[in-house]
Amino acid sequence: MIKLVGVFKKFDAHTALNNLCLYVQSGEIYGLLGSNGAGKSTTLNLILGFLKADSGSIDIGNGSNNSSLKQDMIGYIPENVNLYPYLSGVENLDYFCKLSGFQYNKVELSDFLNECGLQTDAHHKLISTYSKGMRQKVGIAIAYAKKAKVYLLDEPASGLDPLSSNELSELLKKLAKNGAAILMASHDIFRVRETCDKIGILKNGNLVKEMNASQVSSEELEGIYLNFMKN
Amino acid sequence: MKNIVINEWKGLFRNRLFLVLVCIFTIALLLTTYLGILQNNTQILAQKEAQEHIREQWDSMDPTNPHRAAHFGSYAFKPTNLLNSLDEGINAVTGNVLRLEGHTQNDVMFSEASQSLLISKFGKLKPSLLFQFIIPLFLIFLSFNSYIAERESGRLKLLLVQGASLKKIVFSKVFSIWIIGLLLLISTTFVQLIFNTYDLSFDAIFRLILFVCSYGCYYLTLITLTVLLSLIFKNATGALSLSIVIWVMWTVFLPKIIGNTVEKISPFPTRVEFQNAMDVDRSKGIDGHNPSGDRKKELEEKTLAKYQVNSVSELPVNFSGILMQADEEYGNDVWDKHFGSLYKQLQIQKRNYQLSGFFNPFASVQSLSMGTAGTDMFHHLDFLKQAENYRRFFIKKLNDEYAFGGSKTGDRSWKADTKFFQSVKDFSYTFPVFLSFLSKYILDILFLFIWSVCLLFWLKYSSEKTIFL
Repeated sequence: MIKLVGVFKKFDAHTALNNLCLYVQSGEIYGLLGSNGAGKSTTLNLILGFLKADSGSIDIGNGSNNSSLKQDMIGYIPENVNLYPYLSGVENLDYFCKLSGFQYNKVELSDFLNECGLQTDAHHKLISTYSKGMRQKVGIAIAYAKKAKVYLLDEPASGLDPLSSNELSELLKKLAKNGAAILMASHDIFRVRETCDKIGILKNGNLVKEMNASQVSSEELEGIYLNFMKN
Repeated sequence: MKNIVINEWKGLFRNRLFLVLVCIFTIALLLTTYLGILQNNTQILAQKEAQEHIREQWDSMDPTNPHRAAHFGSYAFKPTNLLNSLDEGINAVTGNVLRLEGHTQNDVMFSEASQSLLISKFGKLKPSLLFQFIIPLFLIFLSFNSYIAERESGRLKLLLVQGASLKKIVFSKVFSIWIIGLLLLISTTFVQLIFNTYDLSFDAIFRLILFVCSYGCYYLTLITLTVLLSLIFKNATGALSLSIVIWVMWTVFLPKIIGNTVEKISPFPTRVEFQNAMDVDRSKGIDGHNPSGDRKKELEEKTLAKYQVNSVSELPVNFSGILMQADEEYGNDVWDKHFGSLYKQLQIQKRNYQLSGFFNPFASVQSLSMGTAGTDMFHHLDFLKQAENYRRFFIKKLNDEYAFGGSKTGDRSWKADTKFFQSVKDFSYTFPVFLSFLSKYILDILFLFIWSVCLLFWLKYSSEKTIFL
């Protein structure tokens, strides 16, 4: 689980996050919507430990304060998963797994990639030949192979074609079903509605609205979102 | 850290441009080393032939007056050793042969500082030229973007999330590139070794090890500095520009500025001033060719008293020979006085130049490169000293033969036989053991060490403090 309580973050005079409280349970996908500069990336960076909150608490997993344990639990998938272009999908996965202390054989690595939806014939091709969607799958496989309990995704659907976008949704749902807590920052209202269990709207660092995805349709969500953005 | 280093190498070795460049450098290094060895061997052979020819001429000399033979003279050859092909040092300027003659000492009107200026220009293609100018540039180009590429591509976040610390990442980058520099160094040294196994001694191995270590330290300094700048600047262009500016300062401008400053701080007398001062002191002595004056009289009286005779014609020895030797010895004293201070001046200039290693590690690596190759000023002075000692022995032997070999004063037609000339031993240069010279290079070793350690600590500190977002 991910638990943020009363988090404040300021950059000089600009308040990036104002008393943010957010809770993502295990098995849940939380979609964080917001315009540019709303504080989505800051939220992710705070959870990742790249930024330090001015006040408030951020708990990952079982609430342990051990930062390396926290790090072990987190899988991060950036907007553009730029892996090493001179390595194949399997080699990239192998390298990143080794960095987090996991040593898998080739079959196991291929299995991870298969589970994340990457076609078998692409496993040994250089990453430089991959599409954005394929690289994203490798990125998710990296987090999956690390046995991450928490997944943080920054604009994962941006630039993906509808099919890849849909595959991504299915994959995230599968991970959540296995008990992962997923926090996804996005602009894509439709994708968030389709993928997430819970949706939050962030505006100028304030979480202005939270709702269950099942309670709204895509059109309603768009209306709510635009309404908040305009006011 | 091992995984990051291996991944770096995979990236480099799967890059065609890198492979082409490494191949070019390796071939260039191996070729220059091999050509240097061939050139050395040719020089050794030519020296040997010339030496044998001169000795043959000397040994087959017809009976002649020893003083005439002293003017006929001999030659001292500075032997070429296996390391000379790595760094030519000041040999290009000083040469390897000295003429040895009666009354005539060899001078060394050059300064190490000015030599260092000469060497810092692009001279003969020797491995040292590649080691000092080309490979460092290649290493800078490999280093400047290694950290920034990770950051700008967004992979750095992924690496950190996977548990690699920033410190581990930047140190892995430094070491992976450093090892490539070391491989180029070691391959060259290996070629030196396989072509010179007959000439291998503990001293040569020690020199080679120090040669590799010096450049190794310098490369580590340069790579660490470049990665550090990329960490600080967070911008590839800024890091590359500043690295190149620093490299150009180190290799082009500072050696010239320091060289000129060192010469200004402890200047040499001009050749005319120096020669005049020598002439003044020399005129106070005895002229063996034009015997007159008080000192000649004093020596004559002393000699007559020694042999208890009343005139030189009664002496059982040839007074002209004694006079020649006394003149020679006086000349030696004058030479020792003037050249002693000149040599001291040279050593001060060299030390001051070495001190510049405090802000220019290139000066230290250049000094150690020439030093370990045995081609710097210290080695040349050692050769000059040994050659001068031999010249004194050589002339004394001839003068003594003239004085005490059986001739009498005024017996100008007296000749020493061929057997005597054959008994005069040849000059043989003993190449100094590096350990005996080590103290002269302590400053260079110290500065290189301090530069690399300080920069590594600075990189450690920066990587722990850097907020990369």
